[in-house]
Amino acid sequence: MKTMTLHVFDGLLLLSIVALAWASLATTDVRRSVILFMAFGLVLAVAWGRLLAPDVALAEAAIGAGLSGALLLAAVHRQPRPLSPVSSNDSRHQGPNGLSIVVRWAVTLLSAALAGTLAWALLHAFSSTPHNMLPQAISGNLAASGVSNPVTAVLLNFRAYDTLLELAVLLTAVLGIFSLGQATPGYQPAGPVFDGLVHWLVPVLILMAGYLLWVGAHAPGGAFQAGAALAAAGVVLRLAGRSRIGLPDGSALRIVMAAGVGVFLLVGLSLLLLGRPFLGYPPAWAGALILLIETAAMLSIAATLLLAFLGGQPESTGVKAAAKQQREEISL
Amino acid sequence: MMTTQILYALTGCVIVALGLRGALLHASLLQRIVAINVMGAGVFMLLIAVAYRGPGLPPDPLPHALVLTGIVVAVSATALALALARRLHAEQDDD
Amino acid sequence: MTDAMIGLVALPLAGALATLLLPRSATTMAIGTALATTIAAGLLLFGVATQGAMHYEIGGWSAGLGIALRADGLSALLLMMTALVALAASVYASAYFNAASERTRFWPLWLLLWTALNALLLSGDLFNLYVTLELLGLSAVALASLGGKRAAVAAALRYLLVGLLGSMMFLAGVSLIYAGYGTLDLATLTNMVEPGPVAWTALSLMTTGLLLKTALFPLHFWLPPAHASAPAPVSAVLSALVVKAAFYLVLRLWLGVFATVVTPVAANLLGLLGACAVLWGSWRALQAERLKLMAAYSTVAQLGYLFLFFPLLLALPTGPARDLAAGGLVLLALTHGFAKAGLFLAIGVIQQRCGHDTIRELDGTAQRLPATTFAIALAGVALIGLPPSGAFLGKWQLLAGAVATDQWVWLLVTAIGSLLAAAYIFRVLGHAFGHRPYTHQPVTVAREEWPALLLAAMAALGLGLAGAPVWGLLEIDI
Repeated sequence: MKTMTLHVFDGLLLLSIVALAWASLATTDVRRSVILFMAFGLVLAVAWGRLLAPDVALAEAAIGAGLSGALLLAAVHRQPRPLSPVSSNDSRHQGPNGLSIVVRWAVTLLSAALAGTLAWALLHAFSSTPHNMLPQAISGNLAASGVSNPVTAVLLNFRAYDTLLELAVLLTAVLGIFSLGQATPGYQPAGPVFDGLVHWLVPVLILMAGYLLWVGAHAPGGAFQAGAALAAAGVVLRLAGRSRIGLPDGSALRIVMAAGVGVFLLVGLSLLLLGRPFLGYPPAWAGALILLIETAAMLSIAATLLLAFLGGQPESTGVKAAAKQQREEISL
Repeated sequence: MMTTQILYALTGCVIVALGLRGALLHASLLQRIVAINVMGAGVFMLLIAVAYRGPGLPPDPLPHALVLTGIVVAVSATALALALARRLHAEQDDD
Repeated sequence: MTDAMIGLVALPLAGALATLLLPRSATTMAIGTALATTIAAGLLLFGVATQGAMHYEIGGWSAGLGIALRADGLSALLLMMTALVALAASVYASAYFNAASERTRFWPLWLLLWTALNALLLSGDLFNLYVTLELLGLSAVALASLGGKRAAVAAALRYLLVGLLGSMMFLAGVSLIYAGYGTLDLATLTNMVEPGPVAWTALSLMTTGLLLKTALFPLHFWLPPAHASAPAPVSAVLSALVVKAAFYLVLRLWLGVFATVVTPVAANLLGLLGACAVLWGSWRALQAERLKLMAAYSTVAQLGYLFLFFPLLLALPTGPARDLAAGGLVLLALTHGFAKAGLFLAIGVIQQRCGHDTIRELDGTAQRLPATTFAIALAGVALIGLPPSGAFLGKWQLLAGAVATDQWVWLLVTAIGSLLAAAYIFRVLGHAFGHRPYTHQPVTVAREEWPALLLAAMAALGLGLAGAPVWGLLEIDI
């Protein structure tokens, strides 16, 4: 009976996920598309919870739906007219954006074929006995990993090298964004209701970030979710029209941006110098080292996500650096 | 073979297909970015479905870690794509 | 010596952070990091040559639980090429960017790109490969859009979206592999993978994703605008190294993990696409008005040659003939890397000195910029495949393999392609030698012109005359 209810729930959940994805991509109104995508992300988070993946659910809600949605909405807001590079040559056999019906059907069939092939291969994979080699290795080595949340153990210990490179990906993206221009102009100062909300929302978010960071060692949570919560605090301050949103200026900002990768590298290389493998934490110190790395990573992630929302180099940094450069170039 | 796993895995395939179709067909840049994100979500669903072991049993944590990494990478790429689009738009306005 | 593997990833990454945090001494630190990374690559190559293939388990966790780094002859050679090309391009870049603001934005991204390349070439884990591919893609896109010109930004955006599509397909394949085999470690998988729906679908997905990134015809449309509009040192690295990295992965997957799964039909398909790339790319290069566009189409064509080897490698039985062909492939890839990088750096010099890179208006470059024109000529020798370049040895093996397996069509394609290459190279040189006498003394700026010259010389002479060790190194397998 319980399984029956669960299957019905699953069916409804999956139907709404597919419906939201379809609707988001079928509509021609970009704003509606983005909002439906955010809803899609949130229902997806519910699905992750259903499949016993709470860490992923937290990250999906905060980053996948929340921050991605904020980025996309800000982009929609800035571009009132659509960016369509396709020039329309009028012809009888044209779809809404100028591509012929034949091409549209060909792509649809191609996508369907891809889904079909993928499904066929997956069914084949599921028909053989599930491979438990890695899950068993993870639970076997969990005690020596320094944390008791297996996902954190994988992310920050067993496959820490992946996380190091991932932090480098974040840094690369924000450096690319910096080189493309200054941050978007800020928002108008908020009215009393929003301002009042901000007064208690921001401290709650900061506390939540600290909690998520600490609890990630033994329960769902961790540096990424904590970083997203901190970034959310900054986004809220920005939306309320505040000029100070928690980002430091000038070289301090660059230090925060580099902190995640930097601390990770420092720990890894120090261990190498001490004769241990690269990123091979001694079991007695593992918990402390992981917390250290996660704290630096949380700050970096928060700064990076917030800078991504700003869309470029923050005004004060830009002005100060430009003035400094002008002085240098004059003195040369 | 578990019904739940198969159900979610097949849905994942459908979502990947929807995302791919959207990415190839849409003219609007923003919708193409949304479509690529949808495609990514489909692949994540595949991974989490593979990790699920049943209602009482602990799931396989490795795919969860992979999906977490994937989500962060996806948002980085989205942010860069949107910044490029914004710069392109600014250049178009100057013409 | 295994520490050299860590060094190859940690050094450029640390350098990127250093240039970010201390922008005023960025150039010095960048060149220093470049030198240190090149030394590490040399040490690794020496280590692999003397002690055999190396592997390193990061964190000390056994392969599968953790991520392993692996280096064999092939990856050590490509790492050395990456280091030398990136070093030369770094020296050139230190002179290329005039504004301090441009330089401070350039160096961290440049070193992150180098980190991605090294991490990709060393990685022994499928998901880690996905992360390195994303790092490579994002840093390449960010560098390609530097300068902010409309054409560059538009091309970079297209490059990013195509790259993301490719990465998603690659990740779908990786997920399938994990579903089917329960591990992501390349070495373990090589023993486990057998023909079946899981392996076929995963290989198709991953290959398609990688073909998008390596710009094989007909998925090449994004490459010419992106490489032609990027700043010169960036174009050099994009054409010589970044697309090569994706090709390296295709090679690894087809000859390593999925060796039992690939079929001659699939290999022939790759060969066919490669042939189309050679013909189409060379033809478009001949028609190009601008030097950079010509060089970009030439990359499309040259990558096609690399894919022509696939049907040969699958048709030849394991033995000396197959090893010869494999060595030819690697030599061709290495030569193209050096030659194309040298060509783009030389074109950069011309673009900056003459203010344009239109081929028809090159009148007299040979007299004004003798070193640079010589570099273009040497690079041209290597691109056409004339002796004594490494490309000659590579193409020779291609022709020998085609004859040995009775696949005469590849012979025809190679011949036509080389003739077209000769046409577009000589067209450029013809315009470079002007008719009016040039009375002034030509000025050679060392930092700008020597990197191009050295790279082109390596391609045209070095790899050809000293190319024999390549075969010995390739025998060192993972």
